[in-house]
Amino acid sequence: MGKEKIELFYSTSTKIQYITKGLELGKSLFVSSLLIGEANIGKKSLVKSIFPEAPWVDGRDMIKLKQALKEHNELIICNFELYGDYNINDFNGKRIIAISDATYFPAHIDSLFAFIYTVPSLKERPEDIKYLGDIFFKEAKSTFMTEDILPLDLKDIDLTYNTKSLKKAIFEHQIYNTITPDKIEQILYNYFEKELGGNNDYAKYLPIFENPLIKAGLAKFGSQLKLSSILGINRNTLRKKVYELGIN
Amino acid sequence: MESIDFKLFVEVDNNPFILFDASGHILYLNNAAEMLLCYVSTKELYDLALTYAPKTFGHKSTIHSLEYESFSFYSLMVGYETDEQIYLRLYNKPLVQTKISISNESLIPTDINTLLEANITLFQLESNASISLFVDQELPAFKLDQNYFSIMLRKALSSFVNSPSLNVILKLVVGEYILIDDKKHQMIELILKAPKRTVDYDEEINQLANQTHIASSLKPETIKFQIPLII
Repeated sequence: MGKEKIELFYSTSTKIQYITKGLELGKSLFVSSLLIGEANIGKKSLVKSIFPEAPWVDGRDMIKLKQALKEHNELIICNFELYGDYNINDFNGKRIIAISDATYFPAHIDSLFAFIYTVPSLKERPEDIKYLGDIFFKEAKSTFMTEDILPLDLKDIDLTYNTKSLKKAIFEHQIYNTITPDKIEQILYNYFEKELGGNNDYAKYLPIFENPLIKAGLAKFGSQLKLSSILGINRNTLRKKVYELGIN
Repeated sequence: MESIDFKLFVEVDNNPFILFDASGHILYLNNAAEMLLCYVSTKELYDLALTYAPKTFGHKSTIHSLEYESFSFYSLMVGYETDEQIYLRLYNKPLVQTKISISNESLIPTDINTLLEANITLFQLESNASISLFVDQELPAFKLDQNYFSIMLRKALSSFVNSPSLNVILKLVVGEYILIDDKKHQMIELILKAPKRTVDYDEEINQLANQTHIASSLKPETIKFQIPLII
């Protein structure tokens, strides 16, 4: 069920709604349309939700594409190559929807397509980040069989790769906040098994334990004095560790 | 020699001919002038006649480019033999003859209102212009090269992307026809009008219109397309 919900395109962005309307109107027309925009912003899902029955072809395979253009009056071309060898007659009289991750288009493309839609990135659709974030949280909870955890501030997420970045950040957040000591041990075991092999590895890998311990302790208790008593170590020892680890 | 009634030749001439009295009232006009007066006022044409009139009795031709909606003239002639009457004759610019025949393969029965709505939707993605639509929803479906037409319309609408408002008028024109391959077709008129527009795409728009048998008229604030109603 969760998978289906993610595949079904949804957006509250005004621009996306205009694009949806344009594509819906195009269902009764034989025109060529091009959707451009960054990767992982929902272009394919949007097209699939409007044209669920239309055949698809990968635009990177020019031979297959040319063949598909001959065979079909309605065709969706994913990974459309902007610098491919096309003629307007390949597209005339057909319902073509081409999808490209390009963020601009060269002049010859302008004369090839009737409609050219620039789909906004996720960063430009803050209203959609919340909606997609909720879906990914539910999926993460279901995947890891975990309960509600502290919410993640979506504003702080780096959205360079759009939905992929958002999903990754949410899944990582879910893991980091629900992981049990035995799983941490297992992760460290796997890591050390792979990495160990030098002549000073104890000192080299000790910060992996000490760094998060002291950083989290300082964040939680505020002072080195309080933290030293919590950790049960001498405050001079703690100060030395803070200095060695370069903790601010 | 038997006298010849030259009035008939003037009557059917494609070049507009108007005879005014001394007050600017029309005494006579031929068929072409009658059409022209749908788009330009009598006063404007009378003033034009006075401006280009010869200094004394006689006839004077002037090379002067004039544009009234879809009418384009390259020259005019003004003459008078008495103080009571003055005539104005305008000479049509030669039209570039399109050799493009209709290719039935590319023509698809089209609901032009849907095509227009899709183009306006795309326009609204880029523009904040307030749009006033005056369209005839009852227009019949007719054959059109949808892709070429949409590319042309997209470019035409792009001309108005920075305008604060846009008026869109779509109507059936009564009494005027477009001749393609010696066949008369009724005409649909699409007018885009705004306080300002860019002219960057004008050449391309004209080329695309020509390719699709559409008469285009591009003015500083208006773009007009006369589209043949091919059934």
